[in-house]
Parts: sequence; structure tokens; C-alpha cells
Amino acid sequence: MSTTPLPSRITVVGGGLAGFTAVSELRSRGYDGALTLLDPEGIPYDRPPLSKDFMLGAVDETQIRLTDAGWFETNSVELVEARATGLSTARGVVQLDSGDEISSDAVVITVGGVVNRLNVPGASEESVHVLRDLEHALALRAVLTPGVRILIIGAGLIGAETASTALALGAEVTLVDPSPLPLAKAVGPLVAEVLHAEHTKRGIRTVAAGVSEIEGDGPYRATLTSGETVEVDVILAGVGSKANTALAETAGLATNSGILVDEFGRTSNPSVFAAGDAARQVLDDGTLLRRAEHWEAAQKSGAAVAAAILGQDAPKETPEWFWSDRHGAHVEVVGSLDGDGETVIRGSLGEPPAVLFHVADGKVRGAVSINDSTAVRAAKRLIADQIPVDPANLADPTINLKKLVRA
Amino acid sequence: MSSGFPVAADGDIEDGEALLVEGDDIEFGEDIAVFYDGGEYFALNDKCTHGDASLADGWVEDGEVECPMHSGKFCLKSGKVLSMPATVPAPAHKVEVVDGKVVLYPGVEPESDE
Repeated sequence: MSTTPLPSRITVVGGGLAGFTAVSELRSRGYDGALTLLDPEGIPYDRPPLSKDFMLGAVDETQIRLTDAGWFETNSVELVEARATGLSTARGVVQLDSGDEISSDAVVITVGGVVNRLNVPGASEESVHVLRDLEHALALRAVLTPGVRILIIGAGLIGAETASTALALGAEVTLVDPSPLPLAKAVGPLVAEVLHAEHTKRGIRTVAAGVSEIEGDGPYRATLTSGETVEVDVILAGVGSKANTALAETAGLATNSGILVDEFGRTSNPSVFAAGDAARQVLDDGTLLRRAEHWEAAQKSGAAVAAAILGQDAPKETPEWFWSDRHGAHVEVVGSLDGDGETVIRGSLGEPPAVLFHVADGKVRGAVSINDSTAVRAAKRLIADQIPVDPANLADPTINLKKLVRA
Repeated sequence: MSSGFPVAADGDIEDGEALLVEGDDIEFGEDIAVFYDGGEYFALNDKCTHGDASLADGWVEDGEVECPMHSGKFCLKSGKVLSMPATVPAPAHKVEVVDGKVVLYPGVEPESDE
């Protein structure tokens, strides 16, 4: 246990998943000091549905909230709807766009990422949609009507999921990505091929190209790097995001494509922490880790920061996990698919349910499933506990994977 | 007070597994998942309160079920949410073993030991 006195007032800047997890974990772990959550968007909401069920209209704004107003009252957490414009660590003060200031002994920065905009001639905030926040989703949903022609740039998670949703809403979808095999790094080339081919099977036109220019003010003419032109009514760029380091920079904190933090989420200033998409971990030897940018990573880092502030043991580390839903397929990835090893396939990837395991030295290192969640949950435990497995058992669909974990 | 429905013989559901009981078979509006974990039976509404997923297909361990879609976790005994993204508790039902049969009482709250 730490002997450092606990902060009497903590301010968490940014109410996404990492920030909301941090405040709720601080309270559930027993912190009883003053606690403020700051976010211009108000009550925290969950972002994954924005490209899927929310875009489809299957759930509304209140249904994607991570909690309700009553929670803040019950848990004595002050929710301030404002944007932080500056942080003075010398004075322990967060400056707000309203002109007010919030004083605290510890600050947690969970401001997330800044969505990348398409940077080609003719692209502007008016002509090219992006998708990260609720307001982006509302703007895009308003124009996704049956028969509308949409060009989606980038066939990663956001692009592919939104392509699936747009198609379901009756849009005519063109999906372009310079990579012939989008997501190959995230899900491995074999699964990426199956997933990407599904777009075409469902009636989406895919082109392995980027966009070089946009003309018009709706409809638009987009020139692709392949030379062809596409006329569309709506354009969405799903081209990733950057860590939001602006606030950290006002405080002079160390950043490098992310607010640099140690394994406990502590920044270069010991009373300032960062978690979620804004943060980037640096190891003791100076090695910079990749930002995970996934839902669970934000949740885990928010919880880890809460534990660190309170001097409690960090939550147990678990293998990285994420999911994607598109064209009726539920895809999950756990652990790492990189490095030497053998690929073991359970079922047939083209006919889900199916699972791909990455096995090295008789142990599962990573797995990808299409419509087989149990397999990924088993794999998560096989990876975490380093349980030796016989690849033949993994590949045999008659063997219950739960038994391999519990053997 | 709803009366009980025998849904399985004690021992039919393996440890860490669940039986999906269709609402139509138990005169109840919702499907119910009956879980067997650590020597005890539990019952929750089968449909996850977060997404369109069956909790009977979830991962059952240490008195919890983890949804197969987005990994929201629920307490098997109370249905309380233990992990996001779920935020709404899963309705829990009384289930007990009577004369070697697993008897489910749809709509009857399980006895709380709190």
C-alpha cells in the first residue's frame, strides 16, 4: 500500500469510457473525496453502437448511455458539462471554456482521440463526414436514406461497420481503401480476406484505392487514386484518429503521439494521470507502446488509473480483446496474431462459426472468431493462464473448448 | 404466484453450462437461461439487456455470466450488472431442485441472502 496521502479532490477530464470507468472505479474502490467528471457532451455514452445499432435506429441516445443522471447524484460525482481548455499543474487547476476553473489535487486526462479528417483537395467538414462522436453519428444518420449513394473511405473497423449499416438502410455503397486487404494486421490476412469479400457478396462495391480529390457541393464527384471517378451524395472518411494531446501540452506534459504514461497511467507530472485513447504507455527502458484504441483498452486503463491513484494493486492484466459487428457477423479478436507460430483453424472461416488460433510453443497466443464467442472467451483464458494445448484439440469442433480451460 | 416448471433433471446441465428454456414452454413472455455453476442453479432472462444475444451462450464462471457479444457481465444470483457495456440488470428467477428435478419459477424473484 502507498503511504502517500490520497488526493482530497480529483478531476477527471473527459467522460468517454476511460473517464467514466475511472470515476466509477474510484468510487467502487472506496474513494470518498470530491470527484468531478468534466465533459462537454454530458452524460457518458458508449461509442461502439454509433456505427451500428444507433446508426440503424435500433437504439436511441438514451439507450447508449453508460449511466444516467441519477448515478452521479447517488455516487456524489459532479458532472460538469464544459470543455477543458488548459491545465496548470503548478496551481492544480483545470481551466474551462466557460471561464471557470476547477481546482484539484489530482487530474486524470481521458479526452480520447481526435478523428482524422480527409486531407485532399475539395474535402471539408461540410463535404466529408467523420464518425467518432454522437453528433457525427446524428449528422450521418440523417442523410442515410434509402437509395442514397455513399462513398466510404477506409475499410477498417469504422468504415466496414458503417458500410454494413448503410447497406442495411438501403444506401448504395462504394467502399474504398488503398489496401487490397484491409484489417489484415488487426484480424490476420485469412480472416481479413473472408470479411472483406463479404462486402462484395452483399452488394457493396469495393475498390482498392484512395481518394485524390473531391469536387462539387452535393452530389460530389470523387476522383480515386486508381483514376476512376465516383459520383455520390454522401462521403464518409473512416481514416483513423490521433490521440488528443492538446490539454496535456498546455500543462507541458511529455507527449509523443499520445500523452506518455507509465504502467500505472501516471504522466510526466506525478499528480496527473491519463488513460484511454489519449494515453500512450512508455516502458522503463523508453520503449513506446502502440495505443490500443479499442473499447476494452479504454475500460482497463481507466480502472488501472483509479487503482493507481488509490495506491491499490492494479487489476489483473488480460490479453487485448476487441470486436466488430458487420453483415450479421460477430467478429472477435483476442491476444496477439503476430510472431512465429502455427495457425489452427476450427471450422471453416468461409462458413462461420469458425475460429482461427495462433499457437506457438504449444500455447495459444491469439485467436479470431467469426460468430463463435465461446471460443474467444476460452482462448482469452488459455492465453492469460498460459495453458498448454494440443492444436488438434483446438481444431476439433466436437471438443468443448471450455473443457480445455478447465482441464 | 407462478407455479414451477420442471425444466431438466438434476445433473443434466453440466457445470459452467446453461439450458435455454423457451418462454412458450413456461407460460412466460421471455426465454429464460438456467445456469449450473459451482453446484448451484440460477436463472436469468436469456436475452442480454445490452445487445441481441443469448446469455445461455455466455461464459459461466464464479457466479457470473459473461455475455457472448460484448462481454457485459451479470451476477447469476441477482442479475446485477458487474461489467459494462451492460447497464440494466437481467431479471432473475427462482430455481430449485425438487425430487431430483430442476424446477424453474418464472417471474418469481430468487431468495436473496443479503
